[in-house]
Amino acid sequence: MDLLLIAGDLFHRQPLLRELKEVRYLFEKLTVTQVVLIAGNHDYMKSDSYYRTFRWPEHVHMLTGETMQIIDFPNIHTSVCGCSYHTREKKEKLDIKSLKKGQEPFEILLLHGGDESHIPFTKEDLIKADFDYTALGHIHKPQIIIEGKAAYSGALEPIDKNDVGAHGYITGEITERGCNIRFVPVNKRSYIHKEMKVTPEFTENKLREEIENYIQRNGNEHFYKFILNGFRDPDISFDSVENYFDLRNTYTHRSSENQKRNILEIVDETQPSYDFAKLKEQHEDDILGAFIEAFSEYPSDSMEHRALCEGVQAMMDTRKG
Amino acid sequence: MRIREIWLKNFGRFCDRRIVLHDGIQLFYGENEAGKSTIHTFIKGMLFGMERKRGRFAATDESHIYEPWDNPNYYAGTLRFESGGKIFCLQRSFEKSGKNTKLFCEDDGEEFSVENKDLDMLLDGLSVSSYENTISCGQLKVTPDASLGMALRNYATNACAQDKGDIDLNAALARLKDRKRDVERKIKTCLDERQKKQEVTEQEASFVWADIHKCTEQLNQIKEELAIRDAEVKEKGKLPEKDTEASSEWRIHPIELVGLLFLIVLPLFLVSRPWNYLMAIIIFLCALIYTWNRMKVSKQQEKTEPEILLEEICPEEEKVSREELIWEQNRVSGELKEKKTQYENLKEQLEDLDITDDILTSLQQTREAISLACAKLESLSRELRKQTDQMLNGRVSEIVCAFTGGKYERLFVQGDNQISLLTEGRKIRIEQVSRGTAEQIYLALRIAAAEFLYEEEFPLILDDTFGFYDEKRLENTLKWLAENKKQVFIFTCQKREEETLQKLDIPYTMTIV
Repeated sequence: MDLLLIAGDLFHRQPLLRELKEVRYLFEKLTVTQVVLIAGNHDYMKSDSYYRTFRWPEHVHMLTGETMQIIDFPNIHTSVCGCSYHTREKKEKLDIKSLKKGQEPFEILLLHGGDESHIPFTKEDLIKADFDYTALGHIHKPQIIIEGKAAYSGALEPIDKNDVGAHGYITGEITERGCNIRFVPVNKRSYIHKEMKVTPEFTENKLREEIENYIQRNGNEHFYKFILNGFRDPDISFDSVENYFDLRNTYTHRSSENQKRNILEIVDETQPSYDFAKLKEQHEDDILGAFIEAFSEYPSDSMEHRALCEGVQAMMDTRKG
Repeated sequence: MRIREIWLKNFGRFCDRRIVLHDGIQLFYGENEAGKSTIHTFIKGMLFGMERKRGRFAATDESHIYEPWDNPNYYAGTLRFESGGKIFCLQRSFEKSGKNTKLFCEDDGEEFSVENKDLDMLLDGLSVSSYENTISCGQLKVTPDASLGMALRNYATNACAQDKGDIDLNAALARLKDRKRDVERKIKTCLDERQKKQEVTEQEASFVWADIHKCTEQLNQIKEELAIRDAEVKEKGKLPEKDTEASSEWRIHPIELVGLLFLIVLPLFLVSRPWNYLMAIIIFLCALIYTWNRMKVSKQQEKTEPEILLEEICPEEEKVSREELIWEQNRVSGELKEKKTQYENLKEQLEDLDITDDILTSLQQTREAISLACAKLESLSRELRKQTDQMLNGRVSEIVCAFTGGKYERLFVQGDNQISLLTEGRKIRIEQVSRGTAEQIYLALRIAAAEFLYEEEFPLILDDTFGFYDEKRLENTLKWLAENKKQVFIFTCQKREEETLQKLDIPYTMTIV
């Protein structure tokens, strides 16, 4: 490996000196690889940041400038262009003219951001900038923006409960024929959001079993969030499934069995399988009919629809006889 | 529903008494104690069963009171009724040893199970209390006043607005409130957890803050110390020669030493042997003691006054070298910076905690949805109540108008607890009307409530209802009943109902109890 690129946010906050020393220790293990890194919006170059004074080994190069900087590597015929954040946000759009090309035949851009408050840029901007490869940082989810040309490597491991999917790094090679890149998943654990289609045949036990089986198939090491949707039997409530898996307790208070399972959340978006139109007809002249009528015009994701479900459920549950 | 036949096989004073009943007005005439109330109770008992109480309540329960006079082991009856165009036969026995109920359809022989609520279905959900409050009508038990009128009206309105069909509004609202409480509890746990996280972070930050404070203090101390040292070095720079002079000075002058040596050697020559050796040794020892004493004195003199003072103030640090101090200063300021960075990071972390998480948001949405459902149900129920109220008032007005021959045209409800009647363009309060009129309003309310509550028309059972009615009103009422009701049972101990019916030429069936 000739070059290791880190496109910002190596740390989530300002790095401590001892943390930088740990990183340096790791970098020192590299024998032939050159390292280029920049500071992102999380570990930006604050006035008293350790980045400003820290001494990196010879082969580690930090582009600390707020404007674009160039570093040339003649032995691998590559130049890397990049800049660091000196503030938490950088709302000015990416200025293509500010990008510099180095002395070497292969040009790489190291860029952090992409949303509206962190150097906004578009795919077209990147195409226009015409680098052999653009290594992007900031977004945790790995994604290739331009095939063989620009990609977010994402975080190495998911770091937020919404970082679903595989995580890892991008590896690639630039030759005269162009750039070849490939995503390499290395994450040991994942956040898995599983949608479960519930039918009126589902009972609490059935749901519990489905969840247990799913986890067994996919592995205990992952973190799960189950989203239940579809239509459930109106007589059945899935609330107790939450209790079964100890979700009301904080992780440390769960039973050892449930600690192993790592269920973060069960979201119940199921609707009772009531036929509202039919119910309304049947209860034309009583309050249930009037209630359905009052909420019937709203879309199924509105607050009113949820109120409708709650109200009808309560009335149907407490029916006389 | 219409009752076709009652057959008191063994019930109270009756034994094997069959009464066939027809449409229209059914008059039960009997003197006091004849058993009119027994028949009345029999119908109720047949439709709803009779509870057998135990212990001291046993003496007052109906089952006990109407136990057959002869042969109490056989205690039973049969009731045939028509519902939905079919004839059903209901047989019950009320014996102590075991109740037995049978229900079957006479047309197709289908058997029903009373335990499985088939009878309730045939009765359109009519319950004992509704039965007693609507279709079974005795005399007014209290003199009417505003509160009674209000209670009656409220009863009728609530019954009609909320309990129509199988929906139980109050239970539904209670259920919703339960659910809301549940969701609120979850929200609280969520917030508590966040609070706990925040507290932990805050605590950590406060520890780091304390460290920063300590480091700053330490740093200041070191700086002060260094400044003192620097000042001292400068001061000392002025008298370094004296210092070295003092240290290089001989503690015992060499001439003194030579003199001492001379003194030791002298006796060797002056005194004859063997005493001279002894003398020399003694003088040598004396010289030795003198020298040692002189050395001790000059040692004590080595330290100056201020030096001793300084030593007392900071005995240890004085010995730490300047290099060490500078090294320490660098270390502490490094640590201080590290701590400050850490503190800033923790502050950022705290800010991030304030961003609401999605579990909480979805819970809050659910809570809002439940509140919305509650509010809507309450407003709808008010609306429906008002509507029913109006409809009920309209129907009651109509009936009262018919009963009173048009004297009272309308019933009004004003505010929350006042019922007024419109008569000849004048409004009078319900307290002002006579007992008879109150009885008529009471009956009208019951009839109207029964009409609203049940699709099925039940027979109307009037037990000595007309006692306070005058001739005219009785005529009006009977006429209205004959025209509007399919089956009416009138229990009476007077002849006037029969006479009136004959006078008005209304067909009726007379049963003498």
